Amino acid sequence: MSTLYTVLQDVTEWLMGLIASLVDWTKLGFLSGLADWLETEPVLTTVTTLLVALIYFISLMMFGLCFIWMERKFLGRFMDRRGTQVGVLGFFQNFADGIKVVLKEHIVPKAADKPLFELGVFGILATSFMLLGCIPLSPQFYVINVPLALLLGIAIFSFAPFSLLIGAWASNNKFSLIGGMRGAAQLIALEIPILLVVVSVVVMTGSLSFNGIVGWQQAHIWLGIPLFIGMVTFLVAGIGESERVPFDLPEAEAELVEGWTTEYGDVRWGLVMACDYFRAYIMCGLLTMMFLGGWDGPDFIWAEVWYLAKTFIVFFFFIWARAAMVRIRTDQILKLGWTRLLPLALINLLIAISLKVAEVF
Amino acid sequence: MRIEERRYTKTDHLRPTGYLAKSLVVTFKGLWRNTKNRPCTVQYPWEKVVYPDNYRGRPGIVLDKCIGCGRCAKECPNQCIEMVQIELPNLGAVKRPQVNVGRCMMCGNCAEACPTNAMMVTPDFELASYSRAEMIFDPIKLQHPYKPGYEVNYEFALLSEMKGGEAKTYAKNDPNVHDVIVLEGAKCISCGRCAKTCPAGVIVMTETGELNPKTKKPIKHPKFDNTKCVVCEQCVEVCPKSALSIKEVL
Repeated sequence: MSTLYTVLQDVTEWLMGLIASLVDWTKLGFLSGLADWLETEPVLTTVTTLLVALIYFISLMMFGLCFIWMERKFLGRFMDRRGTQVGVLGFFQNFADGIKVVLKEHIVPKAADKPLFELGVFGILATSFMLLGCIPLSPQFYVINVPLALLLGIAIFSFAPFSLLIGAWASNNKFSLIGGMRGAAQLIALEIPILLVVVSVVVMTGSLSFNGIVGWQQAHIWLGIPLFIGMVTFLVAGIGESERVPFDLPEAEAELVEGWTTEYGDVRWGLVMACDYFRAYIMCGLLTMMFLGGWDGPDFIWAEVWYLAKTFIVFFFFIWARAAMVRIRTDQILKLGWTRLLPLALINLLIAISLKVAEVF
Repeated sequence: MRIEERRYTKTDHLRPTGYLAKSLVVTFKGLWRNTKNRPCTVQYPWEKVVYPDNYRGRPGIVLDKCIGCGRCAKECPNQCIEMVQIELPNLGAVKRPQVNVGRCMMCGNCAEACPTNAMMVTPDFELASYSRAEMIFDPIKLQHPYKPGYEVNYEFALLSEMKGGEAKTYAKNDPNVHDVIVLEGAKCISCGRCAKTCPAGVIVMTETGELNPKTKKPIKHPKFDNTKCVVCEQCVEVCPKSALSIKEVL
């Protein structure tokens, strides 16, 4: 039970009691059963879980906005300009953009496959938001804590190519389709090195839950030191997996006009754009958890702060790569994935196994 | 290393040093520099770049100096200057230049041509407005406080002297070296319009000593004070018998 959950349980009990007394106050006979039902255990558990998920979701959405803001400001400095200017240090530019996107008209192309067209966006939205819940901020602040959390996260992450292809195909636009194809090929090519690196972490720590992985690192050593090759491989593959420069082929702004999201206009496009940053956050979070000790840090400040600070530092490298490098071709990405990252991941796995066999840790 | 000596191989830009390390180092240096100091962006409405001393913005005028000769209107390549009639408290109804700033190309020729340096170039460049009518600056709106350096001065040499081998330079508005008005006496009918028109007041109708054979009155011809003449050509234009012409100094 997370602290968040236990705190919210009291809130839920009070809230349900309030609603039940309101229902009683109406003196409607057929509602008397409802008031009793509201205060039963299953209802309380469900509502509390929903509240926890809501609060976690909102807080991580805010951190996602911070990521966008950070990227804008840092890219500005990288490019010798100032970045966003609206509000305090330009932070409210994101809100302005969000309001603008919400107010846009929803346009579906005439020849598009309408149900699939909507489904494509909701596929990528749902998987990205589910991923937000998979990664705990600390042992006290999380939504779910399943034993196979790492595997679950990677599994949900690998749903993205389907959404891309669905959205691209349903748009009935050849450029969208090319973008979707590129995206799917790239995501699949880079998933295998990522999985192999994850395997090496699991070999070292013997656990698939984030609590176990971070606990092992707290007890022994941050895994980024023995498995440095794995960390670099994961960073490169993570940049590719979150479709960022220099691997932003799926949404090549200049020649494919946003890739598979060409035909998406209004708030759907805005959310997909935000999802890019959520997925980047998830990659940063996974890297922090697996190699940088998660919420491990001196005790003078909360564990969540340590975790988020490390995530932001990792994201700085994402931004740096974006500012420094140019986009590479599809064949180069695939070549990089299969002939560079895959061998590196295998070498990393070998190092992990030999360290484990030699009983260094 | 000279540029000719650099050799590019096929995959030079894809090597780790070329594609990764170098670009990362270059961008990080930029980040450090721009964070430590400041980006090169100038946040325009709030901060402005210092303009150079000889910056030429919109034309401005000092109404006290202006004599209304109209040389600015004649010189203007875009024909955006027009002489309009205004009421001045001490002079009454006079003609003064009005500038259509929307058409002005800020060349400063008007200030260069001005014989009294009343017209000048100001550093004022923020001229955006909501309508075209606001862009037309009448003489009152065109006024601008004078500062030394706003007027446009130049030096010139005479071609005839340059041929002689020794070129002497003269300042703008040198009273002794400028074009002169020539009167063809036989054509003059002594109407005196030139004297009335002259903005500098250098034309005086003087008696030539001859008498008109019909009316027995003395014949008057204009006499020019060449040290004060600004060569505005208004007398030439107004003469009904084309008796006046310009003789250029060469």
